[in-house]
Amino acid sequence: MCDVCGCQLHEHHHTDSKVVEVNQSLLDANQKQAESNRSHIEKMGAIAINLISSPGSGKTTLLEHTIDALGDSLKIGVIEGDIETERDADRIRAKGVPAVQLTTGGACHLDAPMVHGGLHVLEHFCHGAPLDLIFIENVGNLVCPATFDLGEHKRVILLSVPEGSDKPVKYPTTFKGADLFLITKTDLLPHFDFDMEEAQQEAKTIQPDLDIIALSATSGEGFDQWIAYLKALVAKQVS
Amino acid sequence: MHELSLAQSLLEQLLGLARQHNADTISKVTVILGPFSGIVADSFDFGFNILKKEYQETKEAELILEKPTPEYLCLECQHISAMEPAESQIPGVAGIITGKHSCPKCNSDRLSPQGGTDLILKQIEME
Repeated sequence: MCDVCGCQLHEHHHTDSKVVEVNQSLLDANQKQAESNRSHIEKMGAIAINLISSPGSGKTTLLEHTIDALGDSLKIGVIEGDIETERDADRIRAKGVPAVQLTTGGACHLDAPMVHGGLHVLEHFCHGAPLDLIFIENVGNLVCPATFDLGEHKRVILLSVPEGSDKPVKYPTTFKGADLFLITKTDLLPHFDFDMEEAQQEAKTIQPDLDIIALSATSGEGFDQWIAYLKALVAKQVS
Repeated sequence: MHELSLAQSLLEQLLGLARQHNADTISKVTVILGPFSGIVADSFDFGFNILKKEYQETKEAELILEKPTPEYLCLECQHISAMEPAESQIPGVAGIITGKHSCPKCNSDRLSPQGGTDLILKQIEME
């Protein structure tokens, strides 16, 4: 008699089926690399910021103006993520700041292993000199980058006035993981139907601990607050 | 689009587990997909079913996606409520919570998503 099913036929056999409880996050591999990136960044003497937004929210422009505003007070390095071209890195290099361009060749986000490679190139560009602040400019996308920790210390989400104030509630996962919410291009407020109250309140509902700064890189409005945030961060005065 | 790369990392993990347990084939894979993981179930399923054919061990694997109900914390009264996503208008596409929803206890609309950001390989069945 067959031991498995109890039938009288001897000709057949049951293959051994085995059930294994795994209970492991699929994001574990990325998470481990992200932790290692974080200590790598700290060994470089720096704090890292992951900048996430849709394409065209002003991430690179924000960086250009930030570099100008900080001048020599902080040593900055930049890792640029894009699907194609060195254009963003070239804009940063034109400011005299070391910049590594990561081209994903189609991938919609940066992940921790890509940033790991970028950190080594950045170290090479700096000839081992310590940095204070590393900006990682993610691929322009308000969805996919939210899933991947890169080893940053702070995650900053940009939303520009022309995009509309309903975005926090439409992209909750992205805002849930954020530390700072920057509302950019505020000089355009008179021309757009952007409800500042709605954007701030809804973002705060999704992530109650969120810091919010509204600014314009071109008019300079609110920019001091952003620079003060960065300085406090490097001085470890922001928790 | 990141669903495809996550499906690829799931397959790599499965191949490793098959080797570790001396299994020839993996028949069933159960994955828990957090409601706030930013991962679209249908795209993940689609990517898995294309990529699984690349490997002998996973060719026939059936993917079961468990989707826990999203939970919200009310910022007014601290009550945690579970809410089913709305029915989708498009057949076969998972619904999402849209529009205003409110706390069943105090009626506040200040509901903050809780947990559910992970993608977990729960269990595999192999032969």
